[in-house]
Amino acid sequence: MITTALAAGLPEAVSFLNPKAAEGALMGIGQELRDVLNEETVNRILQEALARGGDFADVFAEQRFRTAIVLDAGKIDSVTYGYPRGAGVRVVRRNQTGYAFSDELSYSSLLDAARVASTVVETQSRTNPIDVTRRNPAAPFTLVAPEPMMPEAAKLDLLRRMDAAARAADPRIVSVRIDYVDEVRDVLIGTSDGVYVIDRQYITGISCAPIAQAGGKRGSGLATLGGRIDSTYFERVDPEEAAKRAGLQAARLLEAGPAPAGPMPVVVGPGWGGVLIHESLGHALEGDGIRRGTSLLSGLGGTRVASPLLRVVDDGRWPNGRGTCSVDDEGTPSQRTVAVEAGVLQSYLLDKQNSALLGLRSTGNGRRMSYRNWPIPRMTNTYIDVGTSEPVSLLNGITKGFYAAELGGGSVETTSGNFNFAVREGYWIENGRLTRPVRGAILIGNSLETMQRIEGIGTDLVVDTTRGTCGKDGQAVPVGVGQPTVRFSSITVGGPSI
Amino acid sequence: MPRQSAVEIAERVRVQAERSGAQEAESYLETSTTSEVRLRQGQIELLQQSVVQGLGLRVLRDRRMGFLYTTDLRDAVLNELVNRTLALTNQATPRDENKIAEFLAVTQSDLEIYDPAVVQLRVEDLVRFARTAEESAFAQDKRIQTTRDVRCGTASQEVFFSNTYIPRQTYRATAVWLSATPIATQGGQKREGTFTDRKRFFGELAKPEQIGQRAVERALARLGAAPVPSARVPVVFSAEAAGLFLQNLFPAFSALNVIEQRSFLAGKVGQAVASPGITIVDDGTMRRGLGTRYFDGEGVQTHRTVLVDRGVLRQYCHSAATARRLNVPPTGNGLRSYDTLPAIAPTNLYIEAGSSTHKLVEEVPLGLYVTGLAGFGVDTVSGEYSQQVDGQWIEKGVLTKAVEGVTVAGRLDEMLLGVDGVGRDLEFRSNVASPSIRFKQLTVAGGV
Repeated sequence: MITTALAAGLPEAVSFLNPKAAEGALMGIGQELRDVLNEETVNRILQEALARGGDFADVFAEQRFRTAIVLDAGKIDSVTYGYPRGAGVRVVRRNQTGYAFSDELSYSSLLDAARVASTVVETQSRTNPIDVTRRNPAAPFTLVAPEPMMPEAAKLDLLRRMDAAARAADPRIVSVRIDYVDEVRDVLIGTSDGVYVIDRQYITGISCAPIAQAGGKRGSGLATLGGRIDSTYFERVDPEEAAKRAGLQAARLLEAGPAPAGPMPVVVGPGWGGVLIHESLGHALEGDGIRRGTSLLSGLGGTRVASPLLRVVDDGRWPNGRGTCSVDDEGTPSQRTVAVEAGVLQSYLLDKQNSALLGLRSTGNGRRMSYRNWPIPRMTNTYIDVGTSEPVSLLNGITKGFYAAELGGGSVETTSGNFNFAVREGYWIENGRLTRPVRGAILIGNSLETMQRIEGIGTDLVVDTTRGTCGKDGQAVPVGVGQPTVRFSSITVGGPSI
Repeated sequence: MPRQSAVEIAERVRVQAERSGAQEAESYLETSTTSEVRLRQGQIELLQQSVVQGLGLRVLRDRRMGFLYTTDLRDAVLNELVNRTLALTNQATPRDENKIAEFLAVTQSDLEIYDPAVVQLRVEDLVRFARTAEESAFAQDKRIQTTRDVRCGTASQEVFFSNTYIPRQTYRATAVWLSATPIATQGGQKREGTFTDRKRFFGELAKPEQIGQRAVERALARLGAAPVPSARVPVVFSAEAAGLFLQNLFPAFSALNVIEQRSFLAGKVGQAVASPGITIVDDGTMRRGLGTRYFDGEGVQTHRTVLVDRGVLRQYCHSAATARRLNVPPTGNGLRSYDTLPAIAPTNLYIEAGSSTHKLVEEVPLGLYVTGLAGFGVDTVSGEYSQQVDGQWIEKGVLTKAVEGVTVAGRLDEMLLGVDGVGRDLEFRSNVASPSIRFKQLTVAGGV
């Protein structure tokens, strides 16, 4: 039986999220969604959606229960419960999409939504009966006893301990903000190609952001924890140690010098550094840009697009990954896709609509932010796969270069392939060794050029499961990114020091 | 949802929270209707229509604060959520500034944020505008063979507010937008350009032909772009780029960030933080402004706030809580959606127009004209600045060639003090806007 935080340490449980134990774990999920949207009602809504024609339609219903706690300036600043729910109907005819949704979960409001969505289809054609059948998605990882479901008092205690640890890291820490969020998301997906699935997804995220200040200078640090975590997570990860490291990171920036400017050899550290592959190649692999011909990778399937050292994987089943799911938001089971093998483009990242238009199959990358959005091709957990070089050997032979120990955020324009990302923690490389810390650097480049310049990939693969949120077309979804240590012959470092 | 019932729900939930043990409560119910059409190569790619309703409720007990939001407005659900949230609130820390705002919004004159003409636009109209914009883009130049898409949409929103001191308060607002992104192709190079206009009133929206044309100009200007060698030179930001810069700069003006030592502008009120040509204003009362509203997310009346007056920092933007902490009047910047707590954000934020636009480039012997900015390199905590840019290279006051693959970098404090020119081309197509501005000297990092 799944126990929920909603039931822990608080007055009575909310009935709509309290799974019925007798039905077993899976059967208890999304009970109320299924009460309104059983196979029969879903069928009728889909028939209404396709009444004017169209190739495909789906119904997506969702309810979330979210808990958020903010600790700022040493105090529990605010506590939040969120309970958004609703459902949307999509009608697809070739490249055309009609979408309408309702915040109200009722048969009649979804029939209305189906009619509105169907107006995108201008022709009158078929109304074949649709047969949706239930599929039980295979769990991509074992959620033994969902850890996001800690009692509220334990969450508050965790935040206070992290706050103390970050402050103790250095006397110059003047401010610490810690954000805690956990969420249970129930989804029900019914599609005209015969899928009827109900899934429950958990995610937890904790961020700790200390600020150090001295002599008019300020530095900020960041530690993040969480993901689709399981019961052993906090046995493997020490939150106080993470908070302390964030404090030290902030303090170290007080001694950092200005960033260099211009092209130079660059080595990017493991883990969150994978934001580099997410921006440089990942977005260009997404099926919508490919299908429209607006991506720089359109039509390059089977050709060399990167250094032969490079293997890029998008894995919707990476343990604990923020992008991990049993099924995507179109009901397609998640999968591990090798997108680039030995530098050759092998596979795009596809949803149903774009894969159909390209004559391919969905790779389980149809995702959406919520029932208010239609699915589009998105990454799940995307990483550069493990290489063969000893990580420390990747600094060898660099007389003057830049080491990005930790990156911040990044962005890309998929038409040109021009990308950028901020460096949170950087160092000079001088004569094969890390020397002085550097502040305020960004890295920029062009995807295809930069991916040809990979000179070495380390054995130290880390996939970050704690902090990625990707925005595209106004939709934010959680993602994982990762890489081992990677060395580039040249990337432009954008700093103030020439 | 009928208007009357929405305002009743907002008030009823607030009263119910007070009966259940909240000493103060505030409910914020929002409904909105949105339609958007996305067109590509003459065909509708996406048609989206939606009606949204959601409620946010803040509860206070012994200066402890709890918050809930939901789209499920059934009585039983709301009851349950209120009780749970009150229980959770007991775990929060009491803070003196946790208090529902008692500032009664004074009735203001018509701020002109609701246009019935926007509500009357039908999907067919949106399709027609988008089609005209796309056709005009294709007609400009034969190097334009495709578009990413053209988007046209409308939204109308109503806010229903009720707190312990203000039983009922509402406003409604509209927006309409049209945006084109043509792709220019030359040799193997593809470059896109986007031009977006967004207004409260339909009559003020740029003509579709104009939007297509200006987007094409932007795409074509980027063809053949290449890096330039690294240099320290004067850098002119176009009005659009300067607006993005100002948006990224805003967190430094948030009073909360200032109090928590997260702003490079902390402790600088009364000091010169920019050149005398720079005046920065946040004005929530600007007629027809996209950021204009009658009251903020806490029921506080909006204001016109001069943040920087001829280079001198005058004040920061406040929520009710930060105003209470610093014992100053609130500025009406506690903005929110139903599903977020009020947070300090800009209403209509702008740099006041200066005297001349074309001189900004003409006076530069060698430098960079920046038309596009990207990335996360604006650190308003430490004051460091570095962003990926594209634009045109300036030689002897003339734009000579397209530039990309470079960054510009500096320190925000030095940059603002070093602004030596402000254009007169201030136009509002978003709630944050700026005229063109020139920075005396920045580091351009480019090719070898």
